[in-house]
Amino acid sequence: MSDESRQNFLNRLRIQKDLEKFTAGALARHGNVEDTVARIAALERRDQDFVYAWVELIARSNHELAAHFIGRVAGAFDKMERSGVEDWVDQAMTTFDNRGLGFAIEALENVDDFAREYASRHVRCGFDDASGFLRHFVRGLGGRELRVISDQSTFTDTESLYLPDVVNLYPEPEQNFTIYKLTAVHLWAQTWYGTWRYQVVEQLIRQFDDEHPMAIFNRLECIRLEACIARDFPGLSREFRLFGSVGEAGDALWDEWRHRASRLAERDASAADSLALVEAFGELPLPPLRPFEGDMFAGRVRQALFARIEREKSAFQRAMQELRDQDDRGEGGGDDAQKQLVEVEMQDEAGAGGEDVNFQLTIDGEVTSIPEHMKDLMGSIMQDFGEIPDDHLEPLERGEYSDALLPQKGDVDGDDDPDLNDAGSFSYREWDCVRQRFREGFCTLRELSVPPGDEGFVTATLDKHRGLLKSIKRSFEAVLGESRLQRRQSDGDDIDLDALVEAFADVAQGREMSEYLYTRYRNQERNIAVMFMVDMSGSTLGWVNDAEREALVLLCEALEMLGDRYAIFGFSGRTNKRCEVYRIKDFEESYSSAVRQRISGIRPKAYTRMGVAIRHLGQLLQRTQARTKLLITLSDGRPEDYGGYKGKYGIEDTRHALLELKQGGIHSFCVTIDNEAQEYLPHMYGPANFAVIDEVEKLPYKVADIYRRLTT
Amino acid sequence: MSTPAIHTEQSLIANEPYYEPVADEVAVFTAAYRNKLPVLLKGPTGCGKTRFVEYMAWRLERPMITVACHDDLTASDLIGRYLVRGGETVWVDGPLTSAVRNGSICYLDEVVEARKDTSVVIHPLCDDRRLLPIEKLGEVLAAPPEFCLVISYNPGYQSVLKDLKQSTRQRFVALEFNYPSVEVEQTIIEKESGIDATAARQLVKFGHMTRNLKGSGLDEGASTRLLVNAAKLIHEGIAPVVATDTAVAQALTDDEDMLKAVHELSRSIF
Repeated sequence: MSDESRQNFLNRLRIQKDLEKFTAGALARHGNVEDTVARIAALERRDQDFVYAWVELIARSNHELAAHFIGRVAGAFDKMERSGVEDWVDQAMTTFDNRGLGFAIEALENVDDFAREYASRHVRCGFDDASGFLRHFVRGLGGRELRVISDQSTFTDTESLYLPDVVNLYPEPEQNFTIYKLTAVHLWAQTWYGTWRYQVVEQLIRQFDDEHPMAIFNRLECIRLEACIARDFPGLSREFRLFGSVGEAGDALWDEWRHRASRLAERDASAADSLALVEAFGELPLPPLRPFEGDMFAGRVRQALFARIEREKSAFQRAMQELRDQDDRGEGGGDDAQKQLVEVEMQDEAGAGGEDVNFQLTIDGEVTSIPEHMKDLMGSIMQDFGEIPDDHLEPLERGEYSDALLPQKGDVDGDDDPDLNDAGSFSYREWDCVRQRFREGFCTLRELSVPPGDEGFVTATLDKHRGLLKSIKRSFEAVLGESRLQRRQSDGDDIDLDALVEAFADVAQGREMSEYLYTRYRNQERNIAVMFMVDMSGSTLGWVNDAEREALVLLCEALEMLGDRYAIFGFSGRTNKRCEVYRIKDFEESYSSAVRQRISGIRPKAYTRMGVAIRHLGQLLQRTQARTKLLITLSDGRPEDYGGYKGKYGIEDTRHALLELKQGGIHSFCVTIDNEAQEYLPHMYGPANFAVIDEVEKLPYKVADIYRRLTT
Repeated sequence: MSTPAIHTEQSLIANEPYYEPVADEVAVFTAAYRNKLPVLLKGPTGCGKTRFVEYMAWRLERPMITVACHDDLTASDLIGRYLVRGGETVWVDGPLTSAVRNGSICYLDEVVEARKDTSVVIHPLCDDRRLLPIEKLGEVLAAPPEFCLVISYNPGYQSVLKDLKQSTRQRFVALEFNYPSVEVEQTIIEKESGIDATAARQLVKFGHMTRNLKGSGLDEGASTRLLVNAAKLIHEGIAPVVATDTAVAQALTDDEDMLKAVHELSRSIF
C-alpha cells in the first residue's frame, strides 16, 4: 500500500468510526456504508466539517434521521452549493419538528426536486434587487418623477409604476432583470407617449367601462408604444423584440393586429387613434400579453390624474401670479394685473409628445424666462394635456388669491395665559406680504427646555449606525487638515529664514544646498459656528421624529470631532403669541449626558411658524464669535401655523427672516424630506441652499454628509 | 511651480479655437474688453467657459494665461515670490503679474476654489483703478488697456465657504453660460469629434437623460465636454455604449445603481 492510499484508507476508517459514533450505530443498519463514507471522504475539507457539524446536530434530535442525512448528503453536494445543501437539511429539520420522522426522511429523499426548486429560486430577480436601478433609469428616460412600487398587478396610475414582486420567467438572472427593465419602460412609455392624456381617460371611462374593450385598448396601445419606442430608443426596441415572443400562434395574432392597426405605427398617431379603433377590433381574438406588458386600470389612473391636475393647476397659477407680480413691480403698475396677456408657446419638434419640449412664455408681448421648478411643472402638465390648457393661464380669481393671503388675524384673545407675559419671552416682528410691511412686535417667543428623555435611545442609535458613524468620522477627519504654518517646504509664500541660514552654512562647507527653504500656510483653522434648527411640529410624529433624533446623535458625535461650535434648538408653536423654541444644546454647552437626554426627549409639538424661530436663533448665532456662521434647518414641510400663517404668507415671512440673516452674514441651509419642497425652497433659501431627501431613513446619513460638504 | 515664469508669447493662440456662439456673448465680451471691464463667467462645468475665453483671446489677438484655481492657491501664487537661486534671492513674477505686465487676458478658472486672500489682489485690479500692488517688491503696477481679467465660477456648488462675495462679484460684467440647445450641442459634438449627425444627436439625447437625473442621484448631468469626449471615442471606433460608459457614466458617479442606470440609458438609445 502506497503512502497515499494508506492515508485514504485511514481517513475513511476514521470518518466511518466518527459517524457511527454520532448516530449511535444507526448508520450500520443502512446498507452500503463503505460507499457512503468513501463519497464523504472525497468531499472538500470544509464540506466535511459542514457534514460533521450537521450530523452531530441532527443526531441530537434523532439518530435515524442523521443516518439518512449521511446517506444523502454527498449526492446533495453534487447538485447544489453548500448554501443550497444547508437549506435542504434545514427544511428537513423543520419538517421533523412539525410533522415527525417519516415526513422528514421523505424531505431528505426528495433532494432532486429540492435542488431544482432551489436553482429556480436563485435565477429570479427580486424587486429589491432592481428597484434602485429602475428609479434612476425611469427618471433618466424623462418626464415627471415616478415612484417604483411592488404590487400584485403590473400597471401604472401615472404617479407610480407598480411592478411584480419577483420575476423568474427565464433561467438567467440577467434575463429576468431585463424583463423588469422592459416592464418599467413599457409603463413609463404609457405616461410619456400620452396613453393617459386627460381627454383619453375621460373618453375611456365614459365609453368603455367593461373589461374587454379595455383589454383591446391595452393591446392597441402596446402596438403604438412599440412603434414610438422603436423610433426613439433603438436599443430598447431590440430588447423588446428579443423578449417579445409569445409562441407561434400568439406572434401570428400580434402580426395580424399590427397589420390591421398600421395607422398606430405612424409618427403622429396618438392614444385617441387607438381609442377609435377599439370597436373595429371587438370581434378579433385577443393576442396574449407579452411578459413585459401589464394591465390597465383606468379608474386608478383617473383618481391619480384628477388629484394631480388640481394640484398642478393651482401650483401653476400661483407661479404665474408670482411672475406677473414681478413684472408689475418692474413697471410700477399693479392694478391692471388681470389685463395682462399671457401666452405659452411650445417649440415641440416631434409633435405627439415624446420629445423634450421647449417652452416660451410671453407676458404682454415680452418673453419671460421660466424658472427651473416651473419647467418641471409645465412638463408634467404637458404630459397630462399635451398642451398648457387655457384655464391654467387664467389669473387666479380674486377671491381665491386673497384667500391664500388672508390678512393675519391678530393674536388670539381670550387666551390670557399669565405665563405668556413672563419675563423670559422675546418679541419679534413678522413680515406681512399682503401689506408689504413688518408687523412690529407681532410674535412672542419663549425659550423652553426639552424635558430629558431616555439616554438609551442615544446608545441604541450609536449601536444601530455603528458602521455609518465610522465612515462619517473618517470623512470628517479628512476635513480637519493639518497644522497652519509649514516650514521647510519646497515652495511656498515666503522664505524660511532658519532653513536658509542652514543652507548657506551647508554651501560654505561645500555641501549641497537644500531645496526646502520656504514656509507655506496650509488650511486655516476651522472657525465655524453652526445652529441646527429642528422642526418639532406635529407632522413629524413617528418616523420623521425618530430620524431627526438619530440624525442629531450622529451629527453631534461627528461635530465633537471637528471642534466646530454648534447649538441645537427645536421650534414649534401655536399662534403668534405662543411661539416656542426648545433648547437642546447651547453653543457654550458641552455634549454632555444632559444634552443626550434632551435629544432623546425631542417630541412633536404643534405647528411650524418658521420666521420667528429663524429670527430668534439667528440672533443667538449672531452673538457668537466665528468667521463663518451657518443656520441649518431640518424640516418636513412648508411653514404653517394656526391663523393664516400658511401658503404664500408663511413662505414670504420665512424668506424675509432668512434674508435678514443673510444681511447679517449668516448662511442658511435647509434639509427637508418634503417632496414638494422644490416649489418653494429655492424661493426661500436660494437655488443651491437646500437638499431634499427622498427617504426618511437616509436622513441620519445625509445630514452629516451635507454638513461636511457645506463646510469644506 | 518650479518654473513660474510664463512665456507670454507662447500663449498667443495661433489657430481659431472652435466655438459656437449661443447668444450675444461675443459682442458683450468685446464691449467689456474695449471698456476695460473685467468679466465673470458663470455656469456648470464643461459647458464651454474656458473655450469661450480662448476664442475671445484669439479674436482679440491677445495672449492668454489660464490659472486653474485650487484650494491652496494663495495671493503669492498669483503675484509672484522670491526664490533662492545660488546664494541670492530672485524675484519671479506670478501669472497675474506677468499678464498685467504684458497686457494679456488672465483667466482665473473656478476662482472660488482659491484662498480668500486672493481677493486682495483681484479687487484693486477690477475697479477703475486697475492696479496690481506687489507688496513684497514695494511696487504698484498699472494695468495697460490690453489687460483683461476673466474669472469663472460654478454657482451650483453647495459649500458656503465657496461662495463668491458680493464685494468681488459686483466688480464684474457677468455672462451666464448653460448647456447649449439641442441643435447647437449636436453641431458642437459633430465638429469637435467628426462623428456623423445621427450619432451626435443620439449623444445629445443621452446627455439630456443624464441631466434629468440631476438632483435625483447625480450632482450634475453630463456636460458638453463629456459628450464630446464620448464622441471622440466613438469616432475612433469604440462601441457607443462602451464610450458613454467610460467617458460619461464613470466620470459622473461611483454609485452602482446609478452606473447601471446610466449604462442602460445609453444602451436604450444606441
